[in-house]
Amino acid sequence: MRLHEYETLDIFEQNRIPVPRRGIAGTTHEALQIAGEIGFPVMLKAQVLAGGRGLAGGVRVALTQDELEDVAEEMLSSDIKGLPVRKVLVCEKAAIEKELYLGITVDGYSGRPVIVVSTEGGMLIEETARNSPEKVASIHIDPSFGYYPYLARSLLRRLGLKEQLIASWSDIIGQLYNIARRYEALIAEINPLVVRPNGGLLAVDAVLEVDDSALSRIRFPLPDRIDRIENPLERRGREIGVTYVDLDGDIGLISSGAGLGMASMDIIGEKMKPANFLETGGGITADLLYKCMELIMMKPDLRAIFINVYGGINPIHEGAKGVVRYIHERNVRIPVVAKALGNRQEETWEIFRSAGVHVVTETATEKAIDKLYELVGRG
Amino acid sequence: MSILIDDSTRVIVQGITGRIGSVQTHWMLEYGTRVVGGVTPGKGGTTVEGVPVFDSVLEAVKETGANASVFFVPAAFVLDAFLETIDAGIKLIVVVPEHIPVRDVMKMRSYAVEKGVFALGPTTPGILSPGKGKMGIMPASLFAPGRVGIISRSGTLSYEFAGILSEVNVGQSTVVGMGADPVVLRNLADILELFERDTDTDAVIIVGEVGGEQEEKAAGFISRRMTKPVAAYIAGRQSPQGKRMGHAGAIVRGAAGTVDGKQKELRAAGVEILESPIHVADWARKNNLR
Repeated sequence: MRLHEYETLDIFEQNRIPVPRRGIAGTTHEALQIAGEIGFPVMLKAQVLAGGRGLAGGVRVALTQDELEDVAEEMLSSDIKGLPVRKVLVCEKAAIEKELYLGITVDGYSGRPVIVVSTEGGMLIEETARNSPEKVASIHIDPSFGYYPYLARSLLRRLGLKEQLIASWSDIIGQLYNIARRYEALIAEINPLVVRPNGGLLAVDAVLEVDDSALSRIRFPLPDRIDRIENPLERRGREIGVTYVDLDGDIGLISSGAGLGMASMDIIGEKMKPANFLETGGGITADLLYKCMELIMMKPDLRAIFINVYGGINPIHEGAKGVVRYIHERNVRIPVVAKALGNRQEETWEIFRSAGVHVVTETATEKAIDKLYELVGRG
Repeated sequence: MSILIDDSTRVIVQGITGRIGSVQTHWMLEYGTRVVGGVTPGKGGTTVEGVPVFDSVLEAVKETGANASVFFVPAAFVLDAFLETIDAGIKLIVVVPEHIPVRDVMKMRSYAVEKGVFALGPTTPGILSPGKGKMGIMPASLFAPGRVGIISRSGTLSYEFAGILSEVNVGQSTVVGMGADPVVLRNLADILELFERDTDTDAVIIVGEVGGEQEEKAAGFISRRMTKPVAAYIAGRQSPQGKRMGHAGAIVRGAAGTVDGKQKELRAAGVEILESPIHVADWARKNNLR
């Protein structure tokens, strides 16, 4: 789960990372009040959970009250990368001597946390990493050894910095590492980490993504996860415990695994367009598939449904009962094609067929999607 | 032969008394796997499907001579059970459960490497050597004995590929689910190495997917070390890109992670790219595999 910048800045502040004076505004009036307390000029930053916000116009300066009114008004009624801006962060515009980069993430391949630093922070950091690798340094932390401050100091020395900056920056690395550990972060990032004219450091932007699998054991207050999903269908998917991604096609999809779901989308996409991605994981029950049918049927203009499931850990015969119950109760008229293989497959096919579901018994998903295409045709 | 599991592997099931553990024990036994015991703390002395249950892994190992363990333990308890299993001397561990915190997986992996334990998962369907045995949840009906190895990041797609091959009478030596999490306990290249050494495997299929850099790193291993033919399918071309925030991952990994990037590096290593799962049947025919 990604936290908003304003939520993350609060966590940083509680953990003694220096952050700008700021306030969060839901209206232009609130933005004016906050700016009045901070003093002009101020930065206005749209609070949306999307990368590349700066380049999309989500970060602006206001020098005067009039300017602030215009910018806040515009931001609060806009979408950034398809996400409505509900809140704007108003913060002091600090004087900048230099912009640094600091990020901590999980390196999947080595299975270790990695700390990344650069002397060239800002929006173009990924290009810097590609074109000037000497300006970027990173260090992996051995999970059984843990983090020690000297690791940060030796990392920063590789960038050829002065000792004074090494001392203050390595403190912040220690604090951010501590936050990453306590909040079970997949990403904790400060970009830019600003050096002020007086030499002090300031975390001007803040990113924190928490491991969903660890949410139940994090001992610090966190915002509600479901509330912040903007798409109502995706929110419903989370509520019933499946992974649902809303797409703009008209072929509904239910799959029992992420890989199978992605492969199904790839094959559907050759001639038709998937309306969604839905993956049940290993928890199929009759009730769950009933709810999955209900969820994908919330999309208007669906032309057909494709169910692609394997009975390994999943009782697919139970799942079929839920689908069939939904078809009977709601009198579903569009074609439903099912490929269901594995434990108790014959029983599953019989249940599907009792409701007029087209059962494909070959293994290759292509064969089932050929059948689907034959039923809906071009359109 | 085969890799990791054969008919001499002595398997214990951890979390055997749970709903999924007991059902899957039934299927593993029915497939002919030598399930010699189960472990659930506090349930020692009982039996599940005729298999004796022990309170601790150490006791189970002492009493049964077990040398491998498959996990159906609730996610929150996996780290603890995993460390216990390593300390009890087990050298092969398959971690089926999903939703294990990444921090726990990193600790598990680090300890397994330190102790020379081969572990797979989390979020894996397990391993299956057709006709010999299985550890995990793979549905037996889709597999047939033969000489093709399969390594898959996705559980369901491992069934799909095995099933398509079995339909055209191309069997498998061993099918390995490596796990679908961002951090897995063993990397793809390590599993490829086992297949390269296995005298009963003639060719290997990699079933990958968008994200991470397992396939890119494996490409390096393949060009340096693999002599057997390798084919690869990468799922996820149509998947919408996540609303990514933060740059740290991209800085560490560079351009890694896309379907095109993976295909390009694998192709350069001499791997045949399968654009769609069904093409695996033609590839097997072309290479005279059975």
